Amino acid sequence: MIVALADAAFIVTGVCALVRLVRGPTLADRVVALDVALISLMAGITVGAADAGDSVVLNLPVVIAIIGFTATVAASRFIERERREESQP
Amino acid sequence: MNPVASAFVLLGAATMVLAGVGLLRFRSPYARFHAAGKASPVAFLLVALGAAIELGGPAAARLAVAAAALVVTLPVGVHQLFRAVHRSRPRTLRTDELADARRRAEPG
Repeated sequence: MIVALADAAFIVTGVCALVRLVRGPTLADRVVALDVALISLMAGITVGAADAGDSVVLNLPVVIAIIGFTATVAASRFIERERREESQP
Repeated sequence: MNPVASAFVLLGAATMVLAGVGLLRFRSPYARFHAAGKASPVAFLLVALGAAIELGGPAAARLAVAAAALVVTLPVGVHQLFRAVHRSRPRTLRTDELADARRRAEPG
C-alpha cells in the first residue's frame, strides 16, 4: 500500500518533469526536468529496494546521481558557450 | 514496512510531488530551478532515510553514499544552470544585481 502510494507519487513527478521536458522553453529547463526525473527514479529504486529487502540495487542511485551531475554540468557549459558564440559577429 | 520508515518514505514522496508540480507550474526559469533543485534532494534524503531505517546496516551505508553524492553534486549543477540562464537571458529580470559584475567579466 505504502510502496504503491510512493511509487504513484514518483510517477506523477516523472510525468510533470517529462511535460516540462517537452515544453521547454529553454534548454536549461529541459536539463533540470531530466534531473528531477532521474531523482524520482533514484527514489523509486530506493523504495523498491526497501520493500524487497534487497540492498544490491542500491548501487544504482549512486551511479545515477553522478551521471546526472556530469550531464547537467556538460549541458550548462554548452548553453553558455552557445550564447557566447552567437553574440560574436 | 516499519511505520517510522513508511512515514519517512511518504513524506519524501509528497516532497517529490511538490518538486514536480513546482517544475511544471512556475513561470520563470529561476523559480522552476528553485523548486526542482531544492525540493528534490530533500525528497530523496527523506526517502533514503526511510529506506535506511527499514533495511539497516550495509544498505544504510550505500544509501548514505547515494545521498551524499546527490547532495554534493546537485546544487553545483543547478547553480551552473542558473548561471547559464542568467548569462544567456539577462533582460527578463526586473532588477539585475549581477549586471555590473557581468559587464566587468565580459567586456563588450
